[in-house]
Amino acid sequence: MTHPLLELAKTRTVLFDGAMGTELMARGLGPGLPPELWNADRPDAVREVHAAYFEAGADVVSTNSFGATPLKLAAHGLEARAFELNRAAARLAREAAPAGRFVAGSMGPTGKFLEPQGPATVEELTAAYAEQARALADGGVDLLIVETQYDLREALAALRGAKSVAGLPVFVTLTFGSFPRGCFTIMGDPAGRAAAELERAGADAVGANCTLTTDRMAACVRALRAATALPLVAQANAGQPEAGADGKVRYAQTVEEYVRHVPEILEAGAAFVGGCCGTNPDTVRALARIIRR
Amino acid sequence: MTKNEIFPRMSEAIVSGDRAAARALAEEALRSGLDLLEVVERGYVPGIQKVGELWEQGEYFLPELITSAEAMKAAMAVLDPELRLRAGGSRLGGRVVIGTVEGDIHDIGKNLVASMLQAGGFEVFDLGAGVKLERFIDKAEDVGAGLICLSALLTTTMMNQRRFIGLLREKGLRDKYKVLVGGAPASRKWAEEIGADGYAENAVAAVKLAKSLAGRA
Repeated sequence: MTHPLLELAKTRTVLFDGAMGTELMARGLGPGLPPELWNADRPDAVREVHAAYFEAGADVVSTNSFGATPLKLAAHGLEARAFELNRAAARLAREAAPAGRFVAGSMGPTGKFLEPQGPATVEELTAAYAEQARALADGGVDLLIVETQYDLREALAALRGAKSVAGLPVFVTLTFGSFPRGCFTIMGDPAGRAAAELERAGADAVGANCTLTTDRMAACVRALRAATALPLVAQANAGQPEAGADGKVRYAQTVEEYVRHVPEILEAGAAFVGGCCGTNPDTVRALARIIRR
Repeated sequence: MTKNEIFPRMSEAIVSGDRAAARALAEEALRSGLDLLEVVERGYVPGIQKVGELWEQGEYFLPELITSAEAMKAAMAVLDPELRLRAGGSRLGGRVVIGTVEGDIHDIGKNLVASMLQAGGFEVFDLGAGVKLERFIDKAEDVGAGLICLSALLTTTMMNQRRFIGLLREKGLRDKYKVLVGGAPASRKWAEEIGADGYAENAVAAVKLAKSLAGRA
């Protein structure tokens, strides 16, 4: 597929944004509330976060729709609003995007286990992702990014669902842990096999996000690189969250520590980098300095 | 089958997650009048311990852990009624109340811990997700639990783990229960800071910790 974003990635490293949920909490989102509700209730706050990431140098921001498959929203009794909340998510990011920058429609896991570990079927998941993808496309995203997947089977269902409704590029990132034998999802999918299967199924880019901190990410990117020729995405966490005595939550890694290992990640072959949990516009600003020097 | 023949096969049924075999072997043990406590401790428990080791080594992942826990539960479902009859009450572990704290709907990790605790011989009362803090106490008082396990995935809702300890203190019940905390943002340091009795990194570690707090290991 040719697409301006994929073309850009051939010329230089492309920068994604950082975390969304914690930025909304900093603006008053209450504990336990789905962040996607704010696409309807506090659109100004969501736009402001996107604008801050663009201002920090992000080429691409991800929409506030990570938990907005109808299956996931159902846990909050919000499944009937899936289309509305996803389309609004796309529109808000679009409105914040300067000309020439990109909006990725974020699609996180449904939280359901597939058979035989759980009750969900591949057909059910495919349909849920298709519905989300349709709404995000309707709201004007440039691409879709299936993120933080912990089961390759669900990632493949999401990819199929996304591809079925929109002629947009679909990126797929899984969340891998670091084990003695390499990088695996909690379901035991090895990074290399995941990359190869996603490529075969038509993904436009594959990668790793969440769980791993930057110092562990390069090894994972190398494993992906060995298995696919697709462009690679890497969005690492900034360590583990820690609750301070004041009740505020901080992440273990400082921005300096976070970016120290980014050159290794680029060297390992990542074409798209960005942040995940614990990152913020300061992280993205520091990433921008590194990838554009 | 003699004990030396049947025990390794029980362990193997758990390690390979073979529910049918685990159940059939338990039925055979009943029929042959074996000492059922010995059957559990020398037949099945070594199997689930091996599963825990394979998980910690990164050889087993969630699917294997789940099928092994299911096999263990299938065997225990056969043995439990008889064991209770003989012991005149709850066997081995004691009672555990578990749930994901209010404001938090994430339950994958909590379900796994509940499942492994059950496989490990505890009687588990799973309150589900988004559980009001008072309900943990009401249930524990109600069923006579010794252990309360609180899960939280979000950095915001983990604060409810701290609040829960405060609530127990207010009610003068802090010393009556052991409280374990878990979930992505929790840590040993966090458990110490809020005055919980322990933290476990994963479901396997949770069972070890629960057993040690219950004086079983």
